[in-house]
Amino acid sequence: MRFRGWIPLVLLAALIFGVGAFTTARHRDSFLTEFNINNLLLATMPLALVAIGQTFAMLVGGFDVSVAAVVTMCVVTASFTLTDGKSGFGLFLGSLAVLGVGLATGIFNATLIRVLKLPSIIATLGTLSILEGASLLLRDHPEGAINFDVIDALSTTRFGFLPLAFIGVVGFVVLADLWLYRTRSGMAVRSVGLDETSSRRLGMSTGIIVFGAFVVCSLMAAIAGFFEAAQVQIGSPIIGDYALTSIAAAVLGGASLAGGRGSFVGTLLAALFLSLIDNVIPLFQQPAEYAEMTIGALILLALLLYQAPDLIARLRTSWGGVGRLRTREGEAPAG
Amino acid sequence: MSTPGPESPVVLSLRGVSKAFGAVQALRDVTFDCREGEIHCLVGENGSGKSTLLGIASGFLSPDGGEVEIGGRRRRRGSPAEARRFGLGIAYQTYSHVLPLSVAENLYLAVPGAERPAYGRMSKWATSTLEEFGLDVPVKAPVGSLSLAQRQLLEVVKSLLAKPKVLLLDEPTTALGPQEVDQLHGFVKERSRAGVGIVYVSHRLPEVLGIADRISVLRDGVKQGTFDAAGLTEEALVAHMIGRPLQLAFPDRDVESREPEPMLDVSGLHGDRFGPIDLKVEKGEILGLAGAEGNGQVQFLRALAGVERPAGNASCDGAELNTRSPLAALRAGVVLLSGDRTAESLFPVLSVRSNTTIQVLGSLGRLGFLLRRRERRTVDEMARRLRIRMASIEQPVQSLSGGNQQKVSLTRPFLRGSVKLILADEPTQGVDVGARFDIYEALRAKADEGVALIVKSSDPLELAGLCDRVVVMSRGRIVDEIQGDELGERRIVEAIVGGRVPKVGSGG
Repeated sequence: MRFRGWIPLVLLAALIFGVGAFTTARHRDSFLTEFNINNLLLATMPLALVAIGQTFAMLVGGFDVSVAAVVTMCVVTASFTLTDGKSGFGLFLGSLAVLGVGLATGIFNATLIRVLKLPSIIATLGTLSILEGASLLLRDHPEGAINFDVIDALSTTRFGFLPLAFIGVVGFVVLADLWLYRTRSGMAVRSVGLDETSSRRLGMSTGIIVFGAFVVCSLMAAIAGFFEAAQVQIGSPIIGDYALTSIAAAVLGGASLAGGRGSFVGTLLAALFLSLIDNVIPLFQQPAEYAEMTIGALILLALLLYQAPDLIARLRTSWGGVGRLRTREGEAPAG
Repeated sequence: MSTPGPESPVVLSLRGVSKAFGAVQALRDVTFDCREGEIHCLVGENGSGKSTLLGIASGFLSPDGGEVEIGGRRRRRGSPAEARRFGLGIAYQTYSHVLPLSVAENLYLAVPGAERPAYGRMSKWATSTLEEFGLDVPVKAPVGSLSLAQRQLLEVVKSLLAKPKVLLLDEPTTALGPQEVDQLHGFVKERSRAGVGIVYVSHRLPEVLGIADRISVLRDGVKQGTFDAAGLTEEALVAHMIGRPLQLAFPDRDVESREPEPMLDVSGLHGDRFGPIDLKVEKGEILGLAGAEGNGQVQFLRALAGVERPAGNASCDGAELNTRSPLAALRAGVVLLSGDRTAESLFPVLSVRSNTTIQVLGSLGRLGFLLRRRERRTVDEMARRLRIRMASIEQPVQSLSGGNQQKVSLTRPFLRGSVKLILADEPTQGVDVGARFDIYEALRAKADEGVALIVKSSDPLELAGLCDRVVVMSRGRIVDEIQGDELGERRIVEAIVGGRVPKVGSGG
C-alpha cells in the first residue's frame, strides 16, 4: 500500500484514541470498564460486518444499499428458524436459512447488476424495498424471541474481556488487507474497480469478480444479521439504517466511491469509531442527535483530508499552469 | 531474413467473419490469416473495420458470424482470457493499462500464471523484464505518470509477456518518435524471425511498406485483397484504401479573386514558450503554421484563443482581440479546434446531435425550450454537408472514427454566426485519407466565406496543399515564410530542418 493508503488508518486510530482518552479523563468510571468496552465492541459487530461487505462492493466500483434490509430480513428469519427450544441440528439448519437469505439476495443483486447491467445503486435500492416489505409481511411488529443459546454464544464468548467474535473480525480484516494488497487476486479485484475495460483486456474474469463481490457483500450482511439478532433478541422488522452508515464507514476507512481503493482494516476502525461516538455521547449527557451531526462533520473533514494530496497537486498547477500541462500532453504524439 | 512461404503453418485464421454495431455493418464476411513468422499488415481508413477485426480476433468482441482459429485451435466463445490461453497477444491502440497502478503491477497483471513470479519478487522481476526489452521506465511509478510514448511501448511489452504465437499490434506507433519507431520495429522483426506471426495495423503507410511481408486492405468493412508487400507502392495502397486515385487530395485555391483585407494583426505577442511574434492574416486566407514539434506553435494558437494568456498586441477585424479567457476569445469570433479532440473539443459520451448544437442552442429554441425538430434538421444538414459517417445523430461521438469526430467539432464554426478566425491544431491527426479531404474542403469553404484560418500541422504535404501561405516557427519565433510558387512540401521540410536563426520583424 502506498503512503496515502495509510492516511485513513492513522487518522482513525488517532481519533479513536483521542476520543477514548478524552472520555476516560471525564468519565473513567462509566467508560473505561470491562463491561462498557465489551459492550462497545459487541455493538460494533453488526456495523463492522456490514461495512466490510460494503467495502467488497465498493472495491469493484459498486454500492449495495440493500444490506440494511438483508440484516432486517435475517433477524426476522432468525425469529422463525432460531427459536427457543431448538438445539443442535435444528439450530444448524436455522442458521443455514439465515445465511441462505444473504446468499439468495447476493445472487439476485449480482444478477441484476452483471447480467441485466443495472447500475448497482438502483438495483440494490429495488432489492432494499422488496426485502423491507417482505420483512414487514413476516413480522408486522417485533415478535418471536431468538434462541437464548445463540444469543449467549454470540455475545458472551470472550477472551479476557474481548468478545471472541471481535477478535475474529480483527484477524479477518488483517488477512483481507494482506490479500488485497499483497496477492495477485487482490490486485485483480482492485484493478477491476479501477479500470474494468483494461482488466478485461488483460484477460481477467471481470464478470465473476464483480458477481462475487456482491454475493460476499450480502453474505457479510447476513452474518451481521446474527449479531444484530443477538442484540435485539426478538424478530424486529425495524432495524437501524445500515445502508448509509456502512458506506460512511467504508469511505472513512479509505474506500473510493469510484472503486479500486479501500482497506478492510480502515473499514473496521471506522465502524469502531462510529460506534464509539454513539457510545460516549450519552456519557456527556448530550442528545443522540449530536452524535449524528458529529459523524457527518467528521466524514466531510476526513474526505477532505484523504483528498489533500490531489488538492495540493491541483493548487500547485495554477490557472495558467493547467493550460500548459494540457499542452505538454498534447505535444507528446509527434506527427 | 527468410520470408515465410505459403507452406508455413497458419497461427491466426478468421473465416467469413461479420459484425454489426446497430445499423452500421462494421465487418462483412472477412477472411484473414497470419502465418508463422510473418508480418501481415492491415490497412484501411478509420472506420473501415480494422479495430473491429482485431477485437474479434482477440476475443474482446464476439462476431455475429464466422469462425476464429488461433494456433490451429477453434475458438468456442469470445473471451480475451481464452484467446490468451490459445497463444494470442495484443497491444491495444487505447492500451490495457490500469493507470493508477504501478508499472510493475501492470506487468504483473499481464503475465500469465505459469510465468508469474512470487508477489514479493514483483519489482525485481519487472525491472529485469523491462531491461530485457530495453525500456527505461521507473517500475514503481503509476502508469498514469508515464508519457504517451512510454505507455505505448509498455503496452507492446505487456502483449509479449505471455510469449504469444500470434501478436496483434493496433497502431503501435501513434505516440512514438522516429527513433522509438525504429526500436519497436527492430523488436517486431526479431520476434517474427523467432516464429511469431504478427498482425500489424497502422496508418503510416511508409512504416507499413517498410515492415510488411503481406498487406491486407479493408474498406467499409469489406476486405479489398491481400498483397505481397514487395513491389507495392504507397499510391497503389492508397488507391485500394479509398477506392479511387489520390489526385483530388486538396481543394482548389482561389487566390486571385480575393481582395487583401486584414483580419488578424498580431504584433509583439509573446507568452510561455513563444514570441515575440508579428503576424498578419488576411480575410479568406489559410495560413499554415509549420515547425518541429515543441517550438511554440501550439502555445501561440492557444494564446490567441485565450486558453493561455499572452502579452502584446493582437487585433481581429479592426478591434482589439480579447484573450483573457476562452469565452472572451470565442465571443470575439475566434474558434480553436484543439489537437486533443476528445479531451478538449468534444463531449465523447454525448450524441452527435448534442455535440453539434451545444454552442448554439439559444438559436434553436423558442421561449427557452429547445425545438427538437429544428435541432435535428440543423444537425442532419451539417452531417450531410461535412459527410459525417454515422448510424444516427443520436450515436455517442466516442463511437465514431477519428475523422468523423473531427468533422463533428468542425460543425461548430459552421453553425456559429460570427466566426472571424479559426485556429486548427492538427486538424487531420488520426484522420483517414478519405475524411481528410472532407475536412480540407470544409476549412477552405470557411475561408471562402471570408474567415481567416491558421492551421498548425506536422505534415508538410498537407500544409503545402491546403494553405495559401506557410510560416515556420523555431524556438517560439517565426523564422521563415513561404508563399506563392515557392510553397511546396520540400521547401517546407527544408525550412523546418534548416534551423534558421530567428529574425526580428518577420511575418505580415
